[in-house]
Amino acid sequence: MTEAVVRFSKKQRVEHLVVMLLFMTLALTGFPQKFYETRWAAFIVNAIGGLDRVRFLHRMAGLLFSVATIFHIVLITLLALMRRAGMTMVPTRRDFSDAIQQISWYLGLAKEPAQFDRYDYRQKFEYWGMLIGSLVMVVTGLILYLPLLFTRFFPGEFVPVAQVAHSNEGLMAFLVVITWHIYNAHLSPDVFPFDTCIFTGKISVERMHHEHPLELARVTGEAADASPGHGAAPGGSAPPA
Amino acid sequence: MTRRLRAPVVLAFVFWGLPLLAADAARDEVDTCLSCHGEKGIDKKLPSGEVQSLFVDRVSFEKSIHGAKLGCTGCHPGYQEMPHPERPAKDLAAFTASFRETCKSCHFANYTKALDSVHFAALSKGNSIAPFCADCHGAHDVQKPNEPRTKISDTCSSCHSAEAEAYGQSVHGKTLAATNSPDVPVCTDCHKSHAIADPKGQTWRMKSPETCGSCHTDEAKMKKYGLSTKVYSSYLTDFHGRSASLIAGQKKQAEKIVAVCVDCHGVHDIARVKDAGSRVLQKNLLATCTKCHPGAPPNFPAAWLSHYEPSPKKAPLVWATALFYKILIPLMIGGLVLQVLLHLWRVVVNR
Repeated sequence: MTEAVVRFSKKQRVEHLVVMLLFMTLALTGFPQKFYETRWAAFIVNAIGGLDRVRFLHRMAGLLFSVATIFHIVLITLLALMRRAGMTMVPTRRDFSDAIQQISWYLGLAKEPAQFDRYDYRQKFEYWGMLIGSLVMVVTGLILYLPLLFTRFFPGEFVPVAQVAHSNEGLMAFLVVITWHIYNAHLSPDVFPFDTCIFTGKISVERMHHEHPLELARVTGEAADASPGHGAAPGGSAPPA
Repeated sequence: MTRRLRAPVVLAFVFWGLPLLAADAARDEVDTCLSCHGEKGIDKKLPSGEVQSLFVDRVSFEKSIHGAKLGCTGCHPGYQEMPHPERPAKDLAAFTASFRETCKSCHFANYTKALDSVHFAALSKGNSIAPFCADCHGAHDVQKPNEPRTKISDTCSSCHSAEAEAYGQSVHGKTLAATNSPDVPVCTDCHKSHAIADPKGQTWRMKSPETCGSCHTDEAKMKKYGLSTKVYSSYLTDFHGRSASLIAGQKKQAEKIVAVCVDCHGVHDIARVKDAGSRVLQKNLLATCTKCHPGAPPNFPAAWLSHYEPSPKKAPLVWATALFYKILIPLMIGGLVLQVLLHLWRVVVNR
């Protein structure tokens, strides 16, 4: 067994699991409503037991998802205010230079890939995309759930705006998950077939060395290796001595 | 007769001569029967005490659509015998019922369709006033049922007077009365003529977008009246329409009712959208919405785009939101897929 370190806390792992299950439920009960004309939509509606039940499940999962989102935002805000949390997810200028270097390296224009700290620019992008997207889904979802209450205070046209935004934002989130997230967590040669890190909380030191050398160096107090970087780097599979 | 001529002569006889002979025979038969049945006062007293007149008016029969083609025994087989066969009917309803199959031998398709109708279902349940063939078409005085077209609603109105009156005041009824145009739907265009379905069921209600859409998506027809054909597609893409499509495709009966055309526009009393009394006129819309959405605030009706497609002029915010995602989604997914491909390419190159 290779040496491993803890990357995600129990709270983070549970949060991922909850969001994952709610996301699946919401996609399964949401897309038949978006693609109402298709045969698979009718199939799913029948399999679940009718549109009324599909909508009930979608709304309940949506409410739970809203609670999870608000809980997350309140918690990170409080932790940030209390200076108890590291600002590891905050985008910095370095993320932009990392992105440029990484892409240059992909294209063969740079000799070395970028070196990352706890979260690389792609993970930060996905996190913030997910957070903003979740907020859009929560707000528009609540408008669609309670249009009578909402139009008491706001113009009626906001309801179809919410419908268009909810439907498209949901589609985008789904497409990001099935292309980007599934690739990074399952299909990428670096982790194939399954990156278990978010479920077990553990990551091998070897992978830390490749993927988060700066964090590893920070934690162990050692200097980052000269040639770490990505699993795609030449010969980059030897663990640090 | 030469061999050559035989075929044309036989054919001419079959197609021209025979019908003439038959028509002659039919006329002779009518004369025979009407020698008794042409006299007023020829009645049959039924065991129930009711009296059925057996009088046939020669003029109205001869003017009828069957008058030149059919004799009496075409519909009353076996009655050439004297005395006539006994017809055991205890009351008027049973007497009428005993003739029910008469039309079947020629009008088989319409007869079987009528067996699927709500009228026949009522008859089978013992409702003796529910109509069958002769109640709508007449018996000895059968005429074309749709000449003029207003005749159709007149026929239905003899039982469904309230509906017929509402229809008469509707945009359809008024236009029909003014123009007699075949574009305008009469009762049977929506309800069908023989396979009339039960209009009280959910199935019928949920079919109404299709029923209305069959004319309201007809480009040529709608153009004449300056009406948009987008009403159907714009309904379908909205919340109500999506729900209706999904409910129509599900096996389980839906608990919640979803608005279809007739819920907002009315059924028999559909008004011109711009008429003062129209349910869908801006100032009446809130009252229409609150039928299903009690307590809806004044802003609520604007949540429905009134069959308009979002554009910079109508619903600019909705249009802009849709445009924003039309640009963002391909950019986002394209960018991420590109990253994935670049990553894979680097893996392959470095191997």
